[in-house]
Amino acid sequence: MRGLSEQLRNTAKELLREKKVDFVIGYAPGSVNVKTTPYFAFTPEEAENLVWNPLCANILVTYLLDYRYDDVKVAVAVKGCDARAINRLIHDRQLKRDKVVVIGLPCRGILDADKIAAKIDPRATITDFEYAGDNIVVKTDKGDVSLNRKEYLLNKCLVCEDHNPIVADIVIGEPVQGIAAEDNFAEVKQLEALSPAERDAYWEKQFNRCIRCYACRNICPACNCKECCFDQAEPQWLGKANNSAENHVFHLTRAMHVAGRCIDCGECDRICPMDIPLRKLNKKILKDMKELFGIDTPGKKTEDDNPIGSYRLDDPDEFNY
Amino acid sequence: MANKTLKKDQVVSLLNKVAATYQLIAPVADDSVVMFKPLSSAEGVVFDYVNSVLPPKDYFFPQTEQMFKFSTRNNQIVINPPDPVKERVLFGIRPCDVQSIIAMDKVFDREYKDTYYLDKRAKTTIIAVSCTEPLPTCFCTSVGGSPTSAPGADLLLTDVGDVYLVEVLSEKGEAFVQKFSEFFGNENGEGAKKAEVEKAVAAKFVRTTSLEGVKAKLDNMFEHPYWERLARKCLGCACCTYVCPTCHCFDICDFNSNGFEGERFRCWDSCMFADYTRMAGGHNPRPTKKERVRNRFLHKLKYSWDRYGLGHCVGCGRCSRECPVNLDIYTVISDVKEVDANV
Repeated sequence: MRGLSEQLRNTAKELLREKKVDFVIGYAPGSVNVKTTPYFAFTPEEAENLVWNPLCANILVTYLLDYRYDDVKVAVAVKGCDARAINRLIHDRQLKRDKVVVIGLPCRGILDADKIAAKIDPRATITDFEYAGDNIVVKTDKGDVSLNRKEYLLNKCLVCEDHNPIVADIVIGEPVQGIAAEDNFAEVKQLEALSPAERDAYWEKQFNRCIRCYACRNICPACNCKECCFDQAEPQWLGKANNSAENHVFHLTRAMHVAGRCIDCGECDRICPMDIPLRKLNKKILKDMKELFGIDTPGKKTEDDNPIGSYRLDDPDEFNY
Repeated sequence: MANKTLKKDQVVSLLNKVAATYQLIAPVADDSVVMFKPLSSAEGVVFDYVNSVLPPKDYFFPQTEQMFKFSTRNNQIVINPPDPVKERVLFGIRPCDVQSIIAMDKVFDREYKDTYYLDKRAKTTIIAVSCTEPLPTCFCTSVGGSPTSAPGADLLLTDVGDVYLVEVLSEKGEAFVQKFSEFFGNENGEGAKKAEVEKAVAAKFVRTTSLEGVKAKLDNMFEHPYWERLARKCLGCACCTYVCPTCHCFDICDFNSNGFEGERFRCWDSCMFADYTRMAGGHNPRPTKKERVRNRFLHKLKYSWDRYGLGHCVGCGRCSRECPVNLDIYTVISDVKEVDANV
């Protein structure tokens, strides 16, 4: 995949050199060998640090919100899942299409850093990645490590619906095919099969672990309110105390608030320090939207789309009452 | 007091006996997350973990802590302090976290004595366990710590095979050993074995730097463009500060149940939040991520030295591991050494 990183760097350098954008948001190698880190390149020299590989987990589109009121043009690297956020932010009027250059990254799945850390020598330098059937070979200066993709990819990548970005101005490499997608809602169905009391006990246990660091909210491209209701001091919608009641209010309110705007990037789930399976909450809403109203994953459409805020005469849900 | 030994297969029995008289606090796995919890027995205690996701600071400085209950009925103000905590034994914390408690002592035990913290501190016996398998993100040795020594703990256990070598480091530790004397044997050459363990674990550290020159450099870097660059990728969440064993900021709130009765509590707050320094009139002296990120790293690596004469980064690596965007304090330390402070 080294060629693709090179192609990305050249693209970024050209955009910067020709002053087509003010800066490029991409990925650079991280502080440990199994991670990358978001990177802001302002000059062609800085663009030399960019990489694109199966460790590039973070959604970068969220950063565009930091510049939404600034007079800047930004290029941003997006994977298939991240691209849905571009569409959603445009539909939410948080992003103007002509203020962003979308660099599309066709993606065959991102490796789970926690899972592969046990397999890769922390002192090794990763030099490249190669695909071999169901496996991905991580090439390092201390030997190659072959990993089964189903075992080592992020869970979200096993049910990926968009390997190729649905919106992009420049595409790095050729369109790709991922591994066959599993049942997108298998985990939700397991929870649905529980009794209400069992489900309550399940989420009680999860929410009790929450430390309310708000990493889930802050990484979320759907969380684009100018001021979050949870930050308001007056009226105080959410108590500052960390307890089961307040934690429930936080998570359930947030889940409902991003309904119709959650593009299912799974970042809240991936980065939660307390491993709360937040994606299951959002997945339940996505499943209901799909089954009850025939609404696809938000951000799939390039044209104006507002899943929850729209009114349709052909709404498949009958008005029976 | 001379060193003791504790057979590994006796630890569960010891902890069960401890739990009968003390409040036992030990590491357990909550799904995939290892954290310290109060336990009524040794059931579920994990011994093979490297470090907990959350530090043990919650047991000295809880995330949410009642300060008092109040009543204002009949034109009278009545204040009731909270129930005192039980004598506790905190088992299984790592040397870096022992150092973090020493660092927090400097904050809560100064001119102003924080009785909430100090009460818990006085009533806790700390049994630390040496590390044998540091994580790739661990760097206690880079900031003056050691995975196999824990000044400030009451007892330090080191795995030397079938037994733990038990170093008795305080009077509290001595009292503990005497109270549970049937579990402890006399040292017989285990000290020499510990030296081997020490050597082996030291060689396993991937991260090796030092703080040499960092503080002096930071003294002149308040307006350095580095902070703006660094802060771009920060999400402004509180993950780093809440998993940090030395972060100790809090907010004070009232919960008023009916206009006359209520409770006052304090809860963790984070300098990474935008509203942390927001004044009543709307002014915010740390208006952007730049000022907030700068504050966090200066607090850990400079202000703590200025104020307390020790560092507030103990190298536990938690923020390095958990930061959603890999904004790593270890990288910051390396960067600060390299950047031109005069830019």
